[in-house]
Amino acid sequence: MTVKRIAFVQELLKFMGLEGRLHLEWISSAEAQKYVDVVTKFTEKIRNMGPNPLRAINEMKKAG
Amino acid sequence: MDMVKAAKELLLQDKVDIFLGYRKLDGHQIPHGFTKAHVDDLDQLEISLNRYPLEKIACDLAQKDPALKIGILARDCSQRALNLLYTWDQLNPENIETLTVNCCPSPLSTHGDCSYLTPKPTGDYKKAHGVDYNDSPKDFLANHDSGERLSRWMYEFQKCIKCYGCRNVCPVCFCKECSLEHPNLVEPGVLPAEVPIFHLIRATHMAGRCIDCGLCEDACPAHIPLRMLYREVNDAVSDIFGYVPGDHIEKSPFSIIGKTVELTPAPMDV
Ligand code: SF4
Ligand code: SF4
Ligand code: SF4
Repeated sequence: MTVKRIAFVQELLKFMGLEGRLHLEWISSAEAQKYVDVVTKFTEKIRNMGPNPLRAINEMKKAG
Repeated sequence: MDMVKAAKELLLQDKVDIFLGYRKLDGHQIPHGFTKAHVDDLDQLEISLNRYPLEKIACDLAQKDPALKIGILARDCSQRALNLLYTWDQLNPENIETLTVNCCPSPLSTHGDCSYLTPKPTGDYKKAHGVDYNDSPKDFLANHDSGERLSRWMYEFQKCIKCYGCRNVCPVCFCKECSLEHPNLVEPGVLPAEVPIFHLIRATHMAGRCIDCGLCEDACPAHIPLRMLYREVNDAVSDIFGYVPGDHIEKSPFSIIGKTVELTPAPMDV
């Protein structure tokens, strides 16, 4: 069910132009290397995408 | 069918204790609970384009008195809402009687009684910078790139005045404690609401629930195309879960855990 729920949220975020910032991966406790690889890869991906655009929008709104 | 006569019969034959319909008060059509003691009030029963979530009123009544037998003037969307509410054990189908009014026009009924039959006009500015009420979610996705989708939805969401009208009118928003009032999620007393979290919370909650009645969109004073947003939610739920809320009485896939599924997680594209 988790995979379906995440697929749903990914779809919803994509609809709002916020895709790519949510990822699901199965990693068992025996797969230390896989964990490191996935987290590193995702961190790089997010860093390349730049800061969350929503923060700027909300701060602009607060400032009026 | 003569609605007034049919509703009177329901009350007089004790098939229902109360009949929910509409009557005019100071020139406005508002929901009204007709009872046997004042059965002749039904002569003022109004059937028009106006819609309110009568099913929601039925839920409130049933909470106070679970044995109460309730009659409802119903449209197609009411029927879907009732199915959903039966599914979630909010109403007992044995205690509900419906009288169905014309909804969609067809060769058999030349007019329909629904405020939705005339499409909502979308202004030029909204068309250029926001989201068209009448756009299909699929077309919206196909015709706008990611940045534009974000800026268009943010344009819409930023207008929200946090009136909670969308939740309050929604026939399937029946939670005792609502996440939209949880201080850790939505900061109380702060305007404007943080975007898009308020609307994302509600959109995710509508997964497996929204029966596409459009009352939220009708109610929203900020003209946010909520029905269109939840249509995307419904499309995704139907694609991923194969579930159509309110279609018939069937438990929502969101209330079931631990079923094996075929789907594999999407790869991380970089
Ligand atoms: S269309 Fe709006 S009011 Fe109707 S069920 Fe869906 S969310 Fe609720
Ligand atoms: S918004 Fe969510 S928590 Fe609030 S009443 Fe609706 S479904 Fe329940
Ligand atoms: S009805 Fe519109 S303005 Fe009111 S809380 Fe809902 S989205 Fe915001």
